[in-house]
Amino acid sequence: MTGDPVGGPPPPGPPAVPPDPHPAPPAPAWSAAFPPGPLEPWPDTVRWQPVSGDLIWVELLRLAAVLGVLLLGLAVGWALSGHWLFGAALGAVVLAGAWRVVTIVRAVHAWGYAERENDLLVRHGLLVRRLSIVPYSRMQFVDVSAGPLERAFDVATVQLHTAAAASDARVPGLRPAEASRLRDRLTALGEDRAEGL
Amino acid sequence: MSQGQHNTDPHFPQFPALAPSAPPAGPPDGPETAIAPPGGPGQQLPDRQAWGGEPRQRLHPLSPALHGAKSLFVVIAGLSWSTLSRVGFGWFAAMVTVLALGATVLAVVSWYNTGYHVVGRELRVYEGLLWRRTRAIPLERLQAVEVVRPLLAQLTGLAELRLEVVGGGKTEAPLAYLGVAEAAALRQRLLALAGPGTAPGPQPATTATAGPGIGHAASPVPPGRALHDVANRDLLVSQLLTPQALLLPLGVAFVVAQFLSEDSWSFIAVASTLTAMAGVLLQPVRRVLDDWNFRLARDEGTLRIRNGLLETRAQTVPLNRVQTVGVTWPLLWRAKGWLRLRLEVAGYAAGEPDDRNRPDRLLPVGDAHTGERIVTEVLPGVRLSGLATSLPPTRARWLRPLGRRAVGAGLDERVFAARSGLVTRQLTVVPYARIQSVRVTQGPAQRRLRLATVHADTAGGAGAAALDRDLAEAWWLAAELTARAHAARHPG
Repeated sequence: MTGDPVGGPPPPGPPAVPPDPHPAPPAPAWSAAFPPGPLEPWPDTVRWQPVSGDLIWVELLRLAAVLGVLLLGLAVGWALSGHWLFGAALGAVVLAGAWRVVTIVRAVHAWGYAERENDLLVRHGLLVRRLSIVPYSRMQFVDVSAGPLERAFDVATVQLHTAAAASDARVPGLRPAEASRLRDRLTALGEDRAEGL
Repeated sequence: MSQGQHNTDPHFPQFPALAPSAPPAGPPDGPETAIAPPGGPGQQLPDRQAWGGEPRQRLHPLSPALHGAKSLFVVIAGLSWSTLSRVGFGWFAAMVTVLALGATVLAVVSWYNTGYHVVGRELRVYEGLLWRRTRAIPLERLQAVEVVRPLLAQLTGLAELRLEVVGGGKTEAPLAYLGVAEAAALRQRLLALAGPGTAPGPQPATTATAGPGIGHAASPVPPGRALHDVANRDLLVSQLLTPQALLLPLGVAFVVAQFLSEDSWSFIAVASTLTAMAGVLLQPVRRVLDDWNFRLARDEGTLRIRNGLLETRAQTVPLNRVQTVGVTWPLLWRAKGWLRLRLEVAGYAAGEPDDRNRPDRLLPVGDAHTGERIVTEVLPGVRLSGLATSLPPTRARWLRPLGRRAVGAGLDERVFAARSGLVTRQLTVVPYARIQSVRVTQGPAQRRLRLATVHADTAGGAGAAALDRDLAEAWWLAAELTARAHAARHPG
């Protein structure tokens, strides 16, 4: 065990990333509020695509459904028993819901994906931030799914599966046209570079 | 289940004429007729082609008897001690007999309807009476083959053949049971059909685990070269040096004290207590039984692992199917300087309920020198002692006050190595060519400290993770792992 940086010469600095054919466009407006941080490595070579803002509504409606059931149950319990604990729980749920609304908006903005020459990058998460780098050649299959709520807002989810269970490359909130474009591109690239194991 | 299964077999009842009492066919002859070139006429009419070429074969006629005997144990365990005490011995025996007979009848019916044959590069397994199922197992996806011989099978000269296929939630197609010679022949044939994955070692490397410039690539490997035999004495000592075995005297003392004080030596109490104690000791005892006579050999491009006392297993793993190699140094073994080696193959999914069915042992116990030798054999060009790993930055001590110096990660020439564990030290070695995806995660505490964790995911096992690296280094590491994985997969 040595204290040297991994693998010999100290690397920090511009990382070795295959050059992206597309030059980085001006950053999307929302990114001004989120300065390049832990979720945005290699700002020079990676062009992050945001997901659709309509995903916020999908997530909010999902939250509303859960909150509605919870609040109804608690309210009925409070009305029947009159115990103050139910009231306190009700207040706590309302507060948690309000906090969650804020985080949903921020979390949707934190989702992003980027197509590079050889791999797909997906980042997400606010509390625990995650970035996945999945080579196209490792792709086993692609899922495109859209639940009723997602369909109502005209968005879909694309998920890339590899042979590793831990791989985590899901991109929600894509416009259907973009979702099918991504799916076709991924399958085409996957076939080109097919590799499996 | 998995891909490659379909339920369309309208011709199923036309089982090829093969008398049920006929002895199991020996080594299947004339496979060439069955192997239709891909895209050839055999593709359109696979069934007819197959029937013309190779008859569907049945499992060994003794298999139902073995299955019945196996169910006897299950029935007894299911009825348990308390039932025995409640209904008395006569009724208990009657219940066991009825249930076991029923199971045997079912086994006979299922045996009659089970068949297999090789079609092209597929193994087809037919089974089921009411719900017919045809499984077509593409052999290019074969990860490992295992011949398992439980005690009863050893007495009757039978063996079970297990195939591990990528994407299978569990062991695919356990063919239970075949004659030993037949099982060995079928294994040989399946591995040969599995294609370049099992090509002889000196062949040009199809994967980057065996890149150019390796000593092994130059010298042809004699078939079945023995690599290492584990001494049974070492195995026993190693399993005595486990927490379970060391705490056993305490447990015995406790039980004896309780009996002496309560004065109740009923048969049920004794039997139940013994069962409970056996449960605690199960793991070390199982390890001893499973790893008894552990022998490791290398045959061309495959690794042969044989082990077991009551149930012998012969596992064949093509070397380029090895996804990760794990090294463990348990605390109690450190005085001896011993280590344990594990290997992960893609087929052994986490969905396997029984840990025993994931025969991932590469070396149950051995000293540092042996470990180093075997790792070099499995991952050419990798020296265990030469794997340099670096510590996370000093500020990571806020997250790991004690264990900071125990974790580390390093990029070797061909592999990514990650170290972890303060008490039980572990090292995970992932060849770059086996990396499926790279992930960077950062929890809230890590964000405050500007740290991040880099994961290298593999198809089998949990992969390796470089814990709590400096953020800039984590990005570099992720980029480097991605680039090296890409380079390793596309040599030249």
